[in-house]
Amino acid sequence: MLMAAAACGGSDDKAETGASASSDAGATKGGKVGLAYDIGGRGDQSFNDAAAVGLDKAKGEFGMEAKELEASPGETDAQKEERLRLLASGGFNPIVAVGFAYSGSVKKVAAEFPDVKFAIVDDADATGPNISNLVFAEEQGSYLVGAAAALKSQKGNVGFIGGVKVPLIQKFEAGYVAGAKAVKPDIKIQVKYLSEPPEFTGFNDPAKGKTTAQGMLDAGADVVYQAAGGSGGGVFEAVKGANAMAIGVDSDQALTADKAVSDVIITSMLKKVDVAVYDFLKNYTANSLKGGETRYDLKAGGVDFSTTGGKVDDIKSQLDEYKNKIISGEITVSQTP
Amino acid sequence: MTATDVAAEKPAAAPPARRFRLTFPVLLIGLAGLVILLSIARVVTGANDITSGGTVSAALGLAVPIGLAGLGGLWSERAGVVNIGLEGMMILGTWFGAWGALQFGNPWAGVLAGALGGAIGGAVHALATVTFGVDQIISGVAINIVGLGFTQYLSKLVFATMKGGGAKQSPRVPKMGKISVPGIGQPLQDLQNKRWFLVSDVAGVLHGITQNISLFTILAIVLVPLSFYLLWRTAFGLRIRSCGERPVAAESLGVNVYLYKWIAVMVSGGLAGLGGAFLSLVAAGIYRDGQTGGRGYIGLAAMIFGNWRPGGLAGGAALFGYTDALQLRQGGPSVHALLLVVALLLAAVAVYQLVRQSRNKAALATGIAAVAVFAVFAVTDTVPEAFTSFTPHLTTLLVLSLASQRLRMPAADGVPYRRGQAK
Repeated sequence: MLMAAAACGGSDDKAETGASASSDAGATKGGKVGLAYDIGGRGDQSFNDAAAVGLDKAKGEFGMEAKELEASPGETDAQKEERLRLLASGGFNPIVAVGFAYSGSVKKVAAEFPDVKFAIVDDADATGPNISNLVFAEEQGSYLVGAAAALKSQKGNVGFIGGVKVPLIQKFEAGYVAGAKAVKPDIKIQVKYLSEPPEFTGFNDPAKGKTTAQGMLDAGADVVYQAAGGSGGGVFEAVKGANAMAIGVDSDQALTADKAVSDVIITSMLKKVDVAVYDFLKNYTANSLKGGETRYDLKAGGVDFSTTGGKVDDIKSQLDEYKNKIISGEITVSQTP
Repeated sequence: MTATDVAAEKPAAAPPARRFRLTFPVLLIGLAGLVILLSIARVVTGANDITSGGTVSAALGLAVPIGLAGLGGLWSERAGVVNIGLEGMMILGTWFGAWGALQFGNPWAGVLAGALGGAIGGAVHALATVTFGVDQIISGVAINIVGLGFTQYLSKLVFATMKGGGAKQSPRVPKMGKISVPGIGQPLQDLQNKRWFLVSDVAGVLHGITQNISLFTILAIVLVPLSFYLLWRTAFGLRIRSCGERPVAAESLGVNVYLYKWIAVMVSGGLAGLGGAFLSLVAAGIYRDGQTGGRGYIGLAAMIFGNWRPGGLAGGAALFGYTDALQLRQGGPSVHALLLVVALLLAAVAVYQLVRQSRNKAALATGIAAVAVFAVFAVTDTVPEAFTSFTPHLTTLLVLSLASQRLRMPAADGVPYRRGQAK
């Protein structure tokens, strides 16, 4: 009953969020780009913001006009389809959907508008002649930070906190665990997800992130890696309180996180969504779009680890060694835990 | 119908043999028994986190927002206004709490701002439902939607321009002070680490409730008995409750029903706002869009769980907070140990039903349930994560279905009232 009550309210009833449209009134020589964000939207200091950076860069360089729409929590696939349809029928081409949540809706709407080019970030399931799938090898980047965690941990005990237990976030876990075990086979790894689908609050609940991280630290962990979106701030808070170490995700969080906690972040797993979005738009303007899956891995520079703050300088050569082995194919990292 | 009838909470002629009355000594014995049970489970399973100071402290932190939302619901519903808008008022509280603390550089300014923000939501609800007689559910749902949208709008306006902030989150807010009972922190910690039967468990619990407690937590705890006192021991509270039981009678005795309903719903919003402010100021340390995550609804459920009484809802919130802390901190092992506690509890209930109440069939059913839970405990080593994450919901639901079969909501709860309708 509680769950039903929680589900029926929320904000599913919320209609289309037509807001946050930004358009350059000027020339449209590069075309009109439609961008549909996942929950969080522009300003989430994470995933969506990275896409926005790529868009802004392309807008400036190619003189594109853009319309940006964002998802609201708890919405249905029908609402996502409607958003994409709105963009497609409004003459926007190409259209970028940010996030795996758009998988089903992109596949459906792309079939309805064969002349419009679609791109979807983080999803390889929605396939079609006019769909480009921009996916990342998060497991490779996570492998490197997993190795860093194991090398840095003094207690031989590290933690992973995922936002929501979906296959995408499990790629982070898989890489992290594999990397840590490669360094130290008997290392203890605590894994926890803040919520299970279809409950997606785990990406936006810093209080739970903090509690969970405290639990891991109390149980002996001294390095915690978070792939929990907006809940990550709480993880850093807890790690700071215990004077332990944290690993950031998606962007270089030693730079973006609050100054008061950023010194506990030893490195971040970089996922360059901005590069992917920019590349897609660039290829579109150059008419060299080929569709299908583009995988941004270590080799392509789509994922990496950050060195801001100099906290991993002492182990950088070891990490680079792993990196080269992954690039050369000597090490293959599994995508599932 | 006089006001004194309204005040009589429990039916006088309750058959003593069949009824279980929760008095203060019984409550204390129950709590002591629970600690012993948890201690047994801890020693048997080795899940040391289930009575650790960290767990108890986390449980408090998770229970407070739910409890405050529940208290908010209590005030409103005792005055006869169903408040499903708690979630929205809580969202307003998270935003205004963070904003107040950042704007004035003082977390207590945030506490005040959060309460006021929630009270604004309460005022809208009161205006719609009390003054204009709008359907209470519709108004509440509207507030949930508006609360979310309004704070998103405000964030873009205010937090996006702040350093470290964004359209979806605030910068880090100033820290709230924490206090500890001095001198016993380290001894308790040492005692807890010895892992002795019972002694360490008591030490863990004491450590959790005496060390590093946020002042906001203490404020929240104080609000529970304060609400009880105001609503059940003052003339003011009696009038509020009379509005929820039989507003027509209250009106005939000269009570300004609209005024009292307004006050109650405003207080309700303020309390829910406090719950939100706790989330952003203490539990998380930042405002984040969508961080309430349905806690307003859980608070509403805790209030129903507690039979529209402050003590009961505090118990509901504590139960939810504790189980949530268990599953968040250690997941599988802790929840697995909890299974043993549940099995033992069910067995105890079965014995009680058999010996004291002579309800043979009920005792048999409970006994079978106890054996079933124990069997699950015995054949597994841990609980899969897919299951642990809804432990709090399941536990609350189970207790609700087992123990709360005599719920009585205020008689005129949710019934629209127009002035002079009795004529």
